[in-house]
Amino acid sequence: MHEFSLAGEVIKLARQEAEKNKALAVNEITIEVGNFSGIEADAFESALGLLSEGSVLEKTHLNIVKIKGKGICSACYKEFEMNQRMDTCPICNSFPSEIKGGNEFRVVSLMIEEE
Amino acid sequence: MCDTCGCGKPDGFTIHDPKHTHEHEHTHENGHTHIHAHKHENEHDHGHDHEHSHEKVISLNIDILSQNNITAGMNRRFFEGRRVLCLNMVSSPGSGKTTMLEKTISHLISSRKLYVIEGDQQTLIDTERIEKAGAPAIQINTGSGCHLDAHMIEAALKKLDLETNAILFIENVGNLVCPAMFDLGEYKRVIVISVTEGEDKPLKYPNMFESSHLCIINKSDLLPYVDFRTEEFTKNASLVNHHLEFITVSAKTGEGMNIWYDWILRQSDHIPRY
Repeated sequence: MHEFSLAGEVIKLARQEAEKNKALAVNEITIEVGNFSGIEADAFESALGLLSEGSVLEKTHLNIVKIKGKGICSACYKEFEMNQRMDTCPICNSFPSEIKGGNEFRVVSLMIEEE
Repeated sequence: MCDTCGCGKPDGFTIHDPKHTHEHEHTHENGHTHIHAHKHENEHDHGHDHEHSHEKVISLNIDILSQNNITAGMNRRFFEGRRVLCLNMVSSPGSGKTTMLEKTISHLISSRKLYVIEGDQQTLIDTERIEKAGAPAIQINTGSGCHLDAHMIEAALKKLDLETNAILFIENVGNLVCPAMFDLGEYKRVIVISVTEGEDKPLKYPNMFESSHLCIINKSDLLPYVDFRTEEFTKNASLVNHHLEFITVSAKTGEGMNIWYDWILRQSDHIPRY
């Protein structure tokens, strides 16, 4: 259910930016969702679709960019792409000592229409 | 992931996966303006608009949790200013958090000022239990919400007149998923699991184990009757978070609880000073 409260945050943020920039409309919003962020992209889309009715984002195209996780191998120090949190290094099969990406959940940009 | 309400998408909103998802290179250094502007050239939909209006890309790069995190930071400074130890207790429903807190309050109440913020979807049952044990408690009913956030804690703090050097326990909503994302301003996060749960929980819910500092394995009195292998569990949890500490207790019989009390008092001595 946290997708709902976070969709609310996104709408608030978009409204502030639209007002600040005197936008006639917001045509597109781009949001990055990392696969370790704890956000279910589909649930977030549904939540935003529902909550945006009557808001500045009602007719906005939602552009979700999914970001894959990145780990640094604890044994060979190579950076590798992770689909799941328990993925191991493809070269030496060790667990990562550090997670460098995949926790993203941010509004990257708004495409607005101005006079 | 928690259940969403199951409503359909309203017709007015068009949502589709962008085609360029796989091509999109995640390069923030160069700015997103060019990347996304480029994308739009491929869509051919906006051409006619250019005669009477202009599209402009506003680059934001704002973490959607930033409002929560700012408030959590303020809560944290408030705790530090009053030298209050704040522990965020998280778990699945039924792990025995409230019983643990009742026992903890009875044990520590003579030496320390204790407070509890209770998070549940409904009812005042836990608050009543805690107040009976002797600590002032505030109940936050989240309604349909599945977690506490930093704003709720900020609001609850206005009702709890925290004394300096106190210990504040936040009993989060029983849920191993959503509360992991929300920093409340706590000094340490404590995850409670019980031996009736699976040894593979840390692998299934890594975010919560990754973000916790201490793992309490509760209901140790049931170990002879269940298949739970403590070593297997701690091995799995350590794969997700090798900094995680473990304490095995039975809140019911009191076994191991002294180690937990010592841990709390040790944390209390380590709150940063300003």
